[in-house]
Amino acid sequence: MPSLKDLKIRIDSVKSTRKITKAMQMVAAAKLRKAQESAERGRPYAEKMRDIVSNLASSVKNIAGDNKFLDDGSDCKKFLLIVATAERGLCGGFNSSIVKLAKSRIAELTSQNKEVKILTIGKKGREQLNREFESLFIGHVDLSNEKNITIDTARKISMDIISRFEDGEYEVAEIFYNKFASVISQIPSSYKLLPVSFNEKESDASNVSFNFEPDEDEILNEIIPKSIATSIFSVLQENAASEQGSRMAAMDNATRNAGEMIDKLTIDFNRSRQAAITNELIEIISGAEAL
Amino acid sequence: MTNKFELSIISAESKVFEGKVENILVPGMVGDFLVLSNHAPCISSIRPGFLEFSEGTNDKQRYFVSGGIIEVINNMVSVLVDSAVPGDKIAKEDITNLISEVNDRLSAADTINIDDLGLRRNDLEEALKQA
Repeated sequence: MPSLKDLKIRIDSVKSTRKITKAMQMVAAAKLRKAQESAERGRPYAEKMRDIVSNLASSVKNIAGDNKFLDDGSDCKKFLLIVATAERGLCGGFNSSIVKLAKSRIAELTSQNKEVKILTIGKKGREQLNREFESLFIGHVDLSNEKNITIDTARKISMDIISRFEDGEYEVAEIFYNKFASVISQIPSSYKLLPVSFNEKESDASNVSFNFEPDEDEILNEIIPKSIATSIFSVLQENAASEQGSRMAAMDNATRNAGEMIDKLTIDFNRSRQAAITNELIEIISGAEAL
Repeated sequence: MTNKFELSIISAESKVFEGKVENILVPGMVGDFLVLSNHAPCISSIRPGFLEFSEGTNDKQRYFVSGGIIEVINNMVSVLVDSAVPGDKIAKEDITNLISEVNDRLSAADTINIDDLGLRRNDLEEALKQA
């Protein structure tokens, strides 16, 4: 049985932990709102970009030009996995769920005798993957100095990825991140960044014939790097929002657990205090009886 | 009465302009061109320079854009730009900064697309004169 003093110390320490988790939860809630807002502001651009690319696609299908960025359906051997995680921990399963998805993809690709390379964005993913796959790393992007993600950051990352693609370091790039479904639910997802494969979905503009200036090939060379930067930007924004959402939920849980623990410890504390009082009374009474 | 069409100028971080306009002058990659209503569908890339459009007959709005894409379809014009600054707010230093940024990249040894960057610098220098 812990002494009264020990119990008191424990209650105090849990109380201060609760204060911290409560504060972190509120900070995360505020940051989440900001992250969501900026993600929403960026959405029209991303949507329009996708429209234009799909309009281009329906025109390009007809011409014979084979652009280096386009999927020619050949069998690819070299894969680059871009794993986007957070810079900080204490956000529930946020980082490990992305890493888990990436790991299963690595296992799948290696079993098919593919060559896998890894590029990480965010410290936490690198830490977790470094233990097992150190030899596969070709790069890491540090975002710890970026308070808000800007399109410039995304452009730098995409420039790096594209120049590696042009150098033939890899043939297929896939990016892993957490999709922001709602504040309480984030879905680890992945999609193929390069080469660009056009889905056959008919857009409203598929019957329109566009004039291109300069020609299709040059526009593709111009627009694809831009659309990759945009995709990375939106991935990073979704990730940022998911991270805050996940942290908020985790900290909310932690606060609640701390509250329960305090209640339990307080009951223990009161019991032992009462026991001590009863004990003393018994001693006094039995002393008086003995006289 | 002149016909108007929908114009939206969108940058990666926010919507810059949305509304009905009479015409828009675009610094296209191969040359400036003017879009009026009922323009044929087209997609073109934009070089760094000044974008001009007017909502009515008298007013004229100017934006400095640092490159992007324009799509014209069914009287809907969408301009996707890397960044857009209203013409009266752009300082010459901003453009000079962009030029020095391009110069830095030109001097970097591993650059592959020297031609593109050179063109970009010319465009920026041209824009600087107009600012």
